[in-house]
Amino acid sequence: MANWTRGFANWAVNIAIALTALRTNLMRSILTTLGVMIGVFAVILAVAVGAGAKVSVLDSINSLGSNMAIVFPEPDRDGPRRTVDRGRLTERDARALQKLVSGVKDISPQLRSTIQLVSSGRNASTGALGVTPAYGIVSNITAESGRFITDADVRTAARVIVLGPSVATKLFGGFDPVGQMVRVNKVPFTVVGILESKGSSFGSDNDDLALVPITTARQRLATGTLQGPDDLHALFVGFEDGVNLADAKKQMVKVMRDRYRVPKGEISPFSIRTTEEFMKESGKVTAIFQGVLVAIASISLLVGGIGIMNIMLVSVTERTREIGLRMALGAKRSDIRNQFLVEAAVLCVIGGAIGLTLALAAARAFENFADFPAPIGIGTSFAAILFSAVIGLAFGGYPAIRASRLSPIEALRSE
Amino acid sequence: MTPPLLETRGLIKDYVLGGEVLHAVNGVSLSIARGEFVAIMGTSGSGKSTFMNMIGCLDVPTAGTLLLDGIDTASLNSDALAGIRNAKIGFVFQQFNLLARTSALDNVAVPLIYAGLGRAERRAKAEAKLVEMGLGERLGHSPAKLSGGQQQRVAIARALVTEPLMLLADEPTGALDSQTSQDIMGIFQTLNDQGITVIVVTHEADIAEYASRRILFRDGKVIEDAPVINRRRIVA
Repeated sequence: MANWTRGFANWAVNIAIALTALRTNLMRSILTTLGVMIGVFAVILAVAVGAGAKVSVLDSINSLGSNMAIVFPEPDRDGPRRTVDRGRLTERDARALQKLVSGVKDISPQLRSTIQLVSSGRNASTGALGVTPAYGIVSNITAESGRFITDADVRTAARVIVLGPSVATKLFGGFDPVGQMVRVNKVPFTVVGILESKGSSFGSDNDDLALVPITTARQRLATGTLQGPDDLHALFVGFEDGVNLADAKKQMVKVMRDRYRVPKGEISPFSIRTTEEFMKESGKVTAIFQGVLVAIASISLLVGGIGIMNIMLVSVTERTREIGLRMALGAKRSDIRNQFLVEAAVLCVIGGAIGLTLALAAARAFENFADFPAPIGIGTSFAAILFSAVIGLAFGGYPAIRASRLSPIEALRSE
Repeated sequence: MTPPLLETRGLIKDYVLGGEVLHAVNGVSLSIARGEFVAIMGTSGSGKSTFMNMIGCLDVPTAGTLLLDGIDTASLNSDALAGIRNAKIGFVFQQFNLLARTSALDNVAVPLIYAGLGRAERRAKAEAKLVEMGLGERLGHSPAKLSGGQQQRVAIARALVTEPLMLLADEPTGALDSQTSQDIMGIFQTLNDQGITVIVVTHEADIAEYASRRILFRDGKVIEDAPVINRRRIVA
C-alpha cells in the first residue's frame, strides 16, 4: 500500500483515538480547551478591533472631504527639529492658491474658537469654526434642516450659527431649534441650521461642532493670537475629482514658499497635509495599534498553548502502558508521535472553533451596541482555525516526541 | 534448508543498577524451530522475561546475536523492529493489556492499524479471529464486560490477527483460575497443532507441561533444555 494511503488511514484512526481519549477525561479536556478558546477569542477580537479602528479612522478622514488639502500656519513637523516661526496665513494666500494651483474646486478659509452656548438654562461647550459657504463644498457637508452659512451671512457678519447634531441635541433636546435664539459667549445668535450627521469615528464625535460666518468669528469670538485682520487658522483646499494630490501639494508648497520668500533649504513656516497623507499616516498608526492589541492577546494564546503542553505531558505519562502496548503491537515511533500530535491538534481546533464563534458573537455585539465596527472575514476565520491546529502541533510536539521515544519494554512495564 | 525461526548466539543483556552491572541474560545460545511449543521456565530474576523481551524485539541485547526468521535483528532500526513485532510476533500478556473503553473488535483490530490496513479489512479480519476464539457474540463488549478468560481470548485473537510466525506469551495464565488456565493452554495447543510456534514464559511447572519443550533459566543462563515427558494434552 502506498505510504500516503497508509498515512491518511492513520490520520482518521488517530482522530478517532484522540476523541476517545479526550472523552475519557472530559472535564480535563474541557478545561484545557478553555485556555486555547480564550486565546483564540482574544486574538481574533484584537484583529477585528484593530481592523475596525482602521475603518473608523478612514471614515473620519473621508468625512473631511475626499479630495482635499489643509494648510496650517505651522512649520512642517516632518522637517528637522528647528525652531521656525509660525507663518501668517491670510485670505490673500487663499486667493493666491486659488489662482496659481490647478484643479482647485474651492477654498475654505477657517478660524477656530472654543465657545460656550447657552439656551434656556441648558449649556454646552463646543468648538466653533468660522467659515464661508465654501466649507460645505470642500468638506462635503450640508445642513440637514434649516440652511448653511451663506455669502450674505459672511458679508454682514451676521449673528447666525449652524449647529452640529450633537450640540443641537444637548441644547434643545429633541425638537428642531432652527429659528431659536442661543447665547454664544453671552451674545445672542440665531440658529439657522442643523448639520447632517457625520457619525462618530474611533470614539470621537464628528457632530460636536458649530459653524458661524468667518467674519462673525473674527469680530465676536476669541481667536487667539492672530496678528492681522485677515489672518486665518487654516485653509481647506478642495480639489476637482481626479486631481493628483501629490502634484497639487507640490504646487501649493511652491506657491507658499514663493509668496513668503522662503530660501531653498529653509523650513517653510507652513505645513500642508492632504487627505491622502492623513490616510497613510493613520494607516501606520492603526497598524501599530492593531499590532499591539494582537501582541497582548497572543499572550493569552501562549498561555493556552502551555496548558495544552502541560496536559499532553500528563496524558503521555498516564498512558505510558498503552504506548508500550501499541509499540508491542507494531506501532512505529512516528505512529505514537502522530497519535499524540493529533490529540493535541484536535483539542486546539475544538477550542479554536469555539473561540472563533464567541469572537464572531462579540464582534456583532460591538457593532450593535457600541457602534464600533469589528469586521471578521472568512480569511481571518480560516486562519484562526488553522492557527489553532498549529498551536496544537507546536505545543503538542514535545509531549508527542517524548511519548514516541519511550522504550517499548519500559513503557509496557510501567504501572 | 529453512533457517530456524529463532536462533540466539551468546545473547547477553546487562543492566546497570546502583553502579553494579547485573547480567540479566548471560550468554544464551539456543535455537527454536518452526512449529515448536516451548515453555521457558525459571524463578523471578532468572532472566526468562528479559530473554523473552529480546526475542520479542521489545528490548535490545547488550551483546550476542539474535536471528529472527533468518534476520539479524542487531542491524534493524526501531521502525524495522516495529514492523517485525507487527508482522511476525503476537504478544499475549499476563494482564491481557486490552485498551479500556474499547470494544473487543477494536482491540483486536489495533495491530492491523499499524499494518496499514483499511477500516473495512481491519474489522473483517478482527471479527474472524474473535469468532475463531469463540467470542463471536461479544464483538462490541468492552474489556470491563468480559471475564478474565474472555479477555485473554480477545488478547490471543489480537496476537493472531496479523497471522504471525510465533506467539510470545508472558505468564498468560498468571491472572486466571486453574480451569480457565487449562482452557487457554488448550487454545495454545490447538494453535500449535495448526503450525504456529508458541513460546510461553511461566514459573508454574504444571503450565510448562502443556509445552513440548522446556527451557529452564537460572541466573541468566539456560541450565536445562529438554523435551517435556508426559506432556499434558487438552483435546479441543
